[in-house]
Amino acid sequence: MKIPLSWLKEYVDFEDTVAGLADKLTFSGVEVEGIERLGGGVPGVVVAEVLAIEKHPNADKLSLCRVNFGGPAEMTVVCGAPNVAVGGKYPFAPLGTTLPAGFTIEKRKVRGVFSEGMLCAEDELGLSDDHAGLMVLDAKWAPGTPLAEVLGPPETVVEVEITPNRPDCLSLLGIAREVAALYGTTVKRPDETLAETDPAAETATSVAVEDLVDCPRYTARILRDVKVGPSPDWMKRRLEAAGIRAINNVVDITNYVMLECGQPLHAFDQKLLAEGRIVVRLPKPGEKILTLDGVERTLEPQMLVIADAVKPMAVAGVMGGEHSGINESTTDVLLESANFRPASVRATSKKLGMLSDASYRFMRGVDAELAEFGSRRAAKLMYELAGATLLRGVVDVRSEPKRPWTVVCRPARLEALLGIAATPEEIAQVFAALELKVLKSGPDAVEVEVPTFREDLTREADLIEEYARIYGLKKLPPVRSMATIVPDADDKPAQAQARLRDVLVGLGLQQIMHYSFLAEGLLDLFDQDNAPNRAKLANPLTADHTVMRDALLPQMVETIGLNFSRQVAETAFFETGRVFRLGPDGKPAETDHVAVGLFGPTGRTGLDKFKPVDELEAFLWIKGLWERAAAALNLRGAALRPADRPWSEPGRGMEIVVDGAVVGWLGLLKAEIAKEWRIHEPVGLLEAEAKPLVKDVEAMQPLVPPPSFPSIRRDAALIVGADVRHERVVEVARAAAPAELEKIELFDVYQGKNLGEGRKSMAYAFTYRSKTGTLTDETANGFQEKVNAALKAQLPAEIREG
Amino acid sequence: MDIKEVDGLTAQALAELAGAADGTALEALRVKYIGRNGMLPGLMQGLKDVPAADKPAMGQALNRFKTGVTAAVAERKAALEAVAKAAKAGAFDLSLPGRWPRRGRLHPIQQLIDRTSAIFRRMGFTVADGPDVETEYYNFDALNTPADHVSRDVQDTFYLPGGLLLRTQTSAVQARYMESRKPPVRIVCPGRCYRRDTTDATHSANFHQIEGLYVDEKVSLADLKGDIDHFARELMGPGVKSRFRTHFFPFTEPSVEVDFSCHMCGGKGCRVCKQSGWIEIMGAGMVDPNVFKLAGYDPEQVTGYAFGMGIERLAMILFGIDDIRRLYENDVRYLAQF
Repeated sequence: MKIPLSWLKEYVDFEDTVAGLADKLTFSGVEVEGIERLGGGVPGVVVAEVLAIEKHPNADKLSLCRVNFGGPAEMTVVCGAPNVAVGGKYPFAPLGTTLPAGFTIEKRKVRGVFSEGMLCAEDELGLSDDHAGLMVLDAKWAPGTPLAEVLGPPETVVEVEITPNRPDCLSLLGIAREVAALYGTTVKRPDETLAETDPAAETATSVAVEDLVDCPRYTARILRDVKVGPSPDWMKRRLEAAGIRAINNVVDITNYVMLECGQPLHAFDQKLLAEGRIVVRLPKPGEKILTLDGVERTLEPQMLVIADAVKPMAVAGVMGGEHSGINESTTDVLLESANFRPASVRATSKKLGMLSDASYRFMRGVDAELAEFGSRRAAKLMYELAGATLLRGVVDVRSEPKRPWTVVCRPARLEALLGIAATPEEIAQVFAALELKVLKSGPDAVEVEVPTFREDLTREADLIEEYARIYGLKKLPPVRSMATIVPDADDKPAQAQARLRDVLVGLGLQQIMHYSFLAEGLLDLFDQDNAPNRAKLANPLTADHTVMRDALLPQMVETIGLNFSRQVAETAFFETGRVFRLGPDGKPAETDHVAVGLFGPTGRTGLDKFKPVDELEAFLWIKGLWERAAAALNLRGAALRPADRPWSEPGRGMEIVVDGAVVGWLGLLKAEIAKEWRIHEPVGLLEAEAKPLVKDVEAMQPLVPPPSFPSIRRDAALIVGADVRHERVVEVARAAAPAELEKIELFDVYQGKNLGEGRKSMAYAFTYRSKTGTLTDETANGFQEKVNAALKAQLPAEIREG
Repeated sequence: MDIKEVDGLTAQALAELAGAADGTALEALRVKYIGRNGMLPGLMQGLKDVPAADKPAMGQALNRFKTGVTAAVAERKAALEAVAKAAKAGAFDLSLPGRWPRRGRLHPIQQLIDRTSAIFRRMGFTVADGPDVETEYYNFDALNTPADHVSRDVQDTFYLPGGLLLRTQTSAVQARYMESRKPPVRIVCPGRCYRRDTTDATHSANFHQIEGLYVDEKVSLADLKGDIDHFARELMGPGVKSRFRTHFFPFTEPSVEVDFSCHMCGGKGCRVCKQSGWIEIMGAGMVDPNVFKLAGYDPEQVTGYAFGMGIERLAMILFGIDDIRRLYENDVRYLAQF
């Protein structure tokens, strides 16, 4: 809301700078969003017309302008502005003028040519920061007209944001009340005494309100002999400074009074109302209305309307109708000053997509007691400015009026809540300044009667806030922060999740983050089978955010694709986040997941990075990453089992099993899906539930002392069929070996022509160690012979010993 | 051979050894003079024919030959090796790029969640969690937001099947937590929130907040000020201060907006704080008595404060991020810089 300060000062006195006022308002809850200065002028600066333009002989960017400024002679001025044009009118500072920046215009040479005055931009006149070009003035102004006349008297406009709890501040009088409380002055209320004439208004019209819930009050006043015409300049200027376009005196007065006191008003041409009367009702089926903005709108059943004897004439509290509006020939005015239920106006305004100054106020709540004042005030101005004759009295239909209520504030409670001590007198003084009626003031309680316009003050805490904001939050005493430990509160789950992220970062992964919702097509690409379990947004905003993610991998792969398309040849990502699936009850349930995506030579260093990555390598990296992560998380009872997923390349996937339950999957991305992002290299992926992975982070394995005796290593190269698996080799060797076999390590796999078709060589190192003594070579050889014999017979294998 | 001749031979051997060009030449000389089939054994053999009186002197001369040559061979060998090593050192390229498989990083949003949580943990807060999918009750009703109140318009909400919604604020955790335990309560809750905002440089329909709640006997607005001042200093720097402005939230009374003095200019005014010297950081206030009543706490027995702030906004301020969308774009060339 825009507050022209000269207008505000009509209702309240205060001694402060604009910045000081803005500061006080902002800290007390009326946030100042901007300060704008209008009008004024600089003494001596006048309108000038540019008659001719020549290029400056010594400077490309300067021109020489012949100007007529209404003086005795034309002047030549050097000008650098890009927007100067022949015939244009601009502010002109003649020789001897002192500009706001403090310098005086003198006749002096600019690059060798005399300049006799200065054409001005807005910043040079102190009007704004704009220095893009000369300030362009309307062509109607004659050369020599003082700038002050062009711009009007100086005005400062303060723009404020009013929070939803303070609809009483949506007016100049409301702001004046705040200012008065902050500066310890009083509000000067405008005059609303009327000179009325017979007959009484009720003989000239009638009002029927069919729904007193949605329309708790409707007042109508009748004005005759109205002369519609332009408003006086002072009123136009105020309206425009407040951001409302002036139309004619009658309409302008309704707007002026709304800005003044917060009561929205509407003026009907009574002659255009069938039977000259008002019916407030719900619309009949199929009823339409042509609103003032020229749009025909179909009314829905719950939209309250102001109708005449026949049809709707206005949408209640939102906008007037075209057919009953004030026009040049209007003489009889029915002045509406009514009150409507906020929720009703909000619903209607939203459905129709119409937000007006009136609906904005009604939606937030207008005091029903204000209707009478607003009506009287507007009638008085119409009497003064539009020559209206006022019929006696007002037709007032209303529900039971709301009575003021009492609230108690205990000084002890105030101190407990704010940490500031205050005496009952100090508290009472603040309340009185806010126009709360102090009924009682004692050490135990300050009791006030709250006026109806402060619906937000119903409880002690509300009053305490009033005290705090008027007293000044800047004066809150500095209290030393004290760490307070709450017994038995613990955040182990949060710490465990942090540990999971730390482990993945430690393994060299970059964390990424995606939105929780996305386009369903991407999810379908990875797992169409889960489509029935997805949670769809009931009211999505954009087509690419329609459904909650049921997995993390789709966005993971999309991001790998995005980076790949930007020539990033290697990415190692992880994401932790929530996935959403409909439960058996049809309601979305959420689970914390973790996902990993590896693309490019992520397991290599140095020059090796430039060799292509084959499928097996890529698979072993994602598997290896899982093994390292599980070890770092101390995870027990975990295993991998071959299993394909809809997104995984057949035969390249495994499921992650923890304590017998499948909690996730890892494997290589299906080539068909990878093609969507033009990826032709293998992509290693993993997705799992996060919680089962961190179940053992705090557990410790029983400690084992390091071995006391040296080990002996024996190597063996096995020539086996190409389909013999590492797993099988280990199984056979373990079964044949004694307890002294400590570990089996594969250190080479080779397939070559010299081995023959369908065969491969696997080289293993076997480490033996005894817990009771140092092994001899002979013993180790004996162990290895047993192992070799078993491998030869059971795989079968040829063996070259190392 | 007399002593003079032996000494002459010694001198010759030393001279030849000093001139040996490489390992091979050196070895040949060693064999020639002191090898098993070289000169030394023959000379030693000849010692027995030397008259007894001359024997000690001859013995010493032969010893000079043996030790002199042996030392010279070792010396020359070391010298030649040093030269060879020096020659090799030039081929050891220290300027090659270093090798280590990779480096990991947390996302900047995560970094700020962790940083803010760590500060509050130090102050005795526990990190709590709540669901992203909420009920109308916990997101609005339990936070004292009347059904037909305009503030439900302010936060336009995404709805899901079953009458559920995506929480618009982490404040939804407050009531859940209070229902589950008795005071005192001292928690922070970082988490995801959602608002039906059109995404642009400064708005994101999916974003993060961190919420704080402290409930105990005699918690005051001044305590909130003290704690927030402390947080401001820990997060943004030792000179940073906070200030409160009266505001409105349905779930706190009094309600304030909190500004921190600009960490870039120290409050003098700069581009970061839009010349004001202050940066709006969070909303806060004293827990509304209705919120306590709904959670089953007696507002006469306990008071409390609550605060909430946007993590993305903090990230933009602290890291100088110009466009919130970059945080969710996940271009690794950008993320790896944090």
